[in-house]
Amino acid sequence: MTIIKRIFKKREITALAFLIVLFLGVGLRNPDFINMQSVSTVLKGSVIYILLAVGMTFVLLTGGIDVSVGATLGISAAISATMIRDGSSVVLSILVALAIGIIIGLINGIGVAIVKVPAIIMTLGILGITRGTMIVYTNGRWVENLPDFFKKASQASFGGLNHYFVLAVITVALVQLYFSKAKTGRFFAAIGDNVEGAVLVGIPVKKMMIIAYVVSGFCAAIAGVIFASQVGFVTSNTGFDIEMVAIAACVLGGVSLSGGIGSVIGSSIGAIIMTAINSALIFLKVPSFWNKSIQGLLLILIVVSDVLIHKYFQEKARKQRLSAKSSFVGGDE
Amino acid sequence: MSEKKSLIRLKEIYKSFADNEVLKGASLELSEGEIVAIIGGNGAGKSTLMKIIMGIYPLDRGDIYIENEKIHMSSPSVALEKGIYLVPQEPRLFPNMTVEENVVIGFNQNKAALGEKLRELIKQLGWNISLSRKAATLSIAEQQLVEILRGLLRQAKILILDEPTSTLTFNEIKSFFKLMKDLQAKGIGMFYITHRLTEVFEIATSVVILRDGEITVSGPVSDFTKEILIKGLMPDNAENVKEGIENNQVDHEKDPVLKVDSLSGYGFNDVSFSIYEGEILGLAGVVGSGRTELAEAIFGMGEITGGDVFLNGKSIKGYKTKEIINLGLNYVPEDRHLNGIFDMADVRLNITSAILSRISKVFINSKKEKEITQKYIDDFRIKVTGQDQSLKSLSGGNQQKVVIGRILSSNPKVIILDEPTRGIDAGARGDVYKIIYQLKKLGLAILLISSDFEEIYELSDHAEVMYHGSNTVELSKEDITMDTLTQAAFGA
Repeated sequence: MTIIKRIFKKREITALAFLIVLFLGVGLRNPDFINMQSVSTVLKGSVIYILLAVGMTFVLLTGGIDVSVGATLGISAAISATMIRDGSSVVLSILVALAIGIIIGLINGIGVAIVKVPAIIMTLGILGITRGTMIVYTNGRWVENLPDFFKKASQASFGGLNHYFVLAVITVALVQLYFSKAKTGRFFAAIGDNVEGAVLVGIPVKKMMIIAYVVSGFCAAIAGVIFASQVGFVTSNTGFDIEMVAIAACVLGGVSLSGGIGSVIGSSIGAIIMTAINSALIFLKVPSFWNKSIQGLLLILIVVSDVLIHKYFQEKARKQRLSAKSSFVGGDE
Repeated sequence: MSEKKSLIRLKEIYKSFADNEVLKGASLELSEGEIVAIIGGNGAGKSTLMKIIMGIYPLDRGDIYIENEKIHMSSPSVALEKGIYLVPQEPRLFPNMTVEENVVIGFNQNKAALGEKLRELIKQLGWNISLSRKAATLSIAEQQLVEILRGLLRQAKILILDEPTSTLTFNEIKSFFKLMKDLQAKGIGMFYITHRLTEVFEIATSVVILRDGEITVSGPVSDFTKEILIKGLMPDNAENVKEGIENNQVDHEKDPVLKVDSLSGYGFNDVSFSIYEGEILGLAGVVGSGRTELAEAIFGMGEITGGDVFLNGKSIKGYKTKEIINLGLNYVPEDRHLNGIFDMADVRLNITSAILSRISKVFINSKKEKEITQKYIDDFRIKVTGQDQSLKSLSGGNQQKVVIGRILSSNPKVIILDEPTRGIDAGARGDVYKIIYQLKKLGLAILLISSDFEEIYELSDHAEVMYHGSNTVELSKEDITMDTLTQAAFGA
C-alpha cells in the first residue's frame, strides 16, 4: 500500500481524476464515449504519445526540452516502413529505425550537454534537418502497401488489451522502477533541480544529459515503427506537431518544464488525456481542424496554471521560512 | 606520538582566471586527525583552492598528492572516490528532493541500508531533522546540516568545511564542534575555512593564512595568538586607503538621509538605524541573518509588514522600485550575475542602461552616452579595451565597478551595497574600497552590507550587526573590532 502511495504522489492522482472527469463529462453529452470500444480506441491511440512522453520526461527532468521527437518519429516510421515494404526482415528494419533514433538523440545530447547549445535551438535545428532528410528520402511520396502481417500486428490483443498498449505499460513500469530504485535513476531530476549540486555529489552531468536525449530519440523511433504498423502507411507529414502533444502530456502529468520534478506515470496519464481529448472532440462533433488550436491552448493553460501554483507555494514556503527565523529568539531550537 | 600519515599534500598550486592570478604557488598539507584552519579575506583564494582540491576547477600548475600518491584531480568524482568531500558555504541541495534523497544520492550501496545508517548517524549526533521534508522547505542552517550529513555518510577521509558555522546557531555550533572532535579522533583530516578567529583556537590544530593567493603564515595553533592572526590578516595598505578621510567627520546635526524605523518584514524584524550624509554604515551579519531581505524591502522589492522607511524625511514605504530610484536611493545587489548586469552587452550599455530615458528623447543621445561611460571608466580605473567590450569578458572586480558606475549615473543620495567585494580578487577589492571612499567624500550616504567583518571594520563609520533578523548591536567607530563584530553576529 505504501509503495502504491509513493508511486502515485498527488499530481498523478489529479491527472487521473481529470481523465475520469473528462470521460464522464463527455459521456454525459454522448454516452457512446464511455463504452469499451471507445475506451480501448483511446488506449490504443495513446501508445505513441505515451512512448514520446516517456522519452520527453527524461529530457524535461534534466531541465532541457526535445522538440525534434516528431521528426524522429517521422523518419524512423518512413525508413522502417520502406524497408519492410521492400521485403527486408522486420527485425532488421526495426533495428535500423532504433539506430536512427539513437543517433539523432546522440547529436542532440552532444549539442546540448557539450557544445552547450540551448536545448530548444539545438533540437529545433535537428527537427528541421531530420524532417528535410525524411522528405528527400521518400521523395515526398507516401510509403504505402505495407504487408498485412505488419498492419495486423497492431490489432493483436492480450486479454482485451492491445499488444502495443501492453508494451507501453510495461515500458512505463520499467522506467518508473528505474527512476525510483536504480542508483542513477534520480540523477536526471537532480541535474534539473540543481546543476551545481549535481556536480558536487559527483554526478556525471554531461553523460546523463546525453543519455536523456538518446532515450528520447530511442522512444520516438519505437513510436515511429508503431505508427507505421498502426496506420498502415506513412505520409510526409507523419509526426508533424506531435512534439507539442508530447510536451503537453508531460506537463499535464506534473513534469516541471524547469526540470527536477515529474514521473513517467504522470506523463503517461497525461498522454492518455491528450488522446482522450482528441477523440472526445470527435464525439462532441467538433470539427477536427480545431484539434491543434485546442491542444495548443491546453498546453498554455496547463503551463500557466502550473507556474502560478508553483510560484504561490514557493513564495509561501519562503515567507514561512523567513518569518520562522526572524521571530526566533535565543540560541537553540 | 609518531609522525602522522599525510592525507593530502598540495604543492605550489597556481591558478588563473583569464589574466587574474588567484593562486600563486600555494602549498598545503593535511595529515590524519588534523584540523587545518584556513583564514583570509574575500578574494584571497580560499574557495578556489578548495574547489581545486575537489576537482571542480582544474589547476594550472602544481601537484596534488593523496597519501603520497600523485593524483590527477580531473573531476569531482575522482575527489569523491579518494574520500574528499566539500561542504560548501552555501548549501547546494536539490530543492525538490527530500532530505533523505539528498543525502543518499550518488551512492553505490543499497538505499534501505543507507537510510538506516543515516538515521543512526543523526541519532548519534543528536540532531533534530526530519528526513522526509523537501529540501526547499529547510532553512539555510538546516540545509547546512544536510550537507554535513552527506559528507559524514560518505565516510570521507578528508572533509573540507567552508565556513560551516556561519549559519548555525550557538547550540548547533557546540554539537558540531563535538562532532568534529569525534571525527578527528577517528583520524579524519579537515580543512576548516572560517572568518571567526575564536573558532580557530577552539577547534583547529594548525592554522594557515591565505592572502592574495599565497600562504603568508602557517603553523600549529599553539604558536599563535589572536593578535598575531589579526595582524597577519590586515592588508598592508589599510592606512593608505583611509588617508585624507579621517578628518572628514560626519555631520550628525543635519537630518539623516535614510532613516529606517522599526522596520519588519519577511526575514527581518524591528530593525532601526539612520544614515547621514557622507557616512558609511556597516551592516554586518552572517548569511541568512536577514540582511538582503532588509535591503530588498527598503528598495521596494520585498514586502514590508511593519515600521517605516524615510528618505530625506519622506516616507518611501510602499513605493515602487522605480520611484525609489528617482527619489535618490539605489541598490547594488549581492549577486551581480543574477540581478545586476547584462552579461552579453557592452560596458557602455551596462553603465547607461539605468539613465537611457533621462539622456534621450526619442533616440538615444549616443554622444552623451559615450561621455558618461568614459567618465566612469576613468574615475574608477575600469580595465577595458574599449567601451564596447562585453561585460562578460571583464574580471569580477571590473564588473562590480561597472555596476557601481551605473548606479551612480542615476545620481543617488543613498546607495546600498550588498557584499560589494564578494568573489573579487584582493587588488580589485582595494579599488572598490577606494571607490566607496570617493562616494563618501561626495557626500553620499552608504549602507554597506557585508559578512566580511574586516571589510566592515575597514570602511565603516558606524556599524549595526544583524542577528536572526534584528539589529541587536550598534557599534560606534571606536568600538568596531573583529571581536565585537563576530560576537554580535553570532549571537554569542
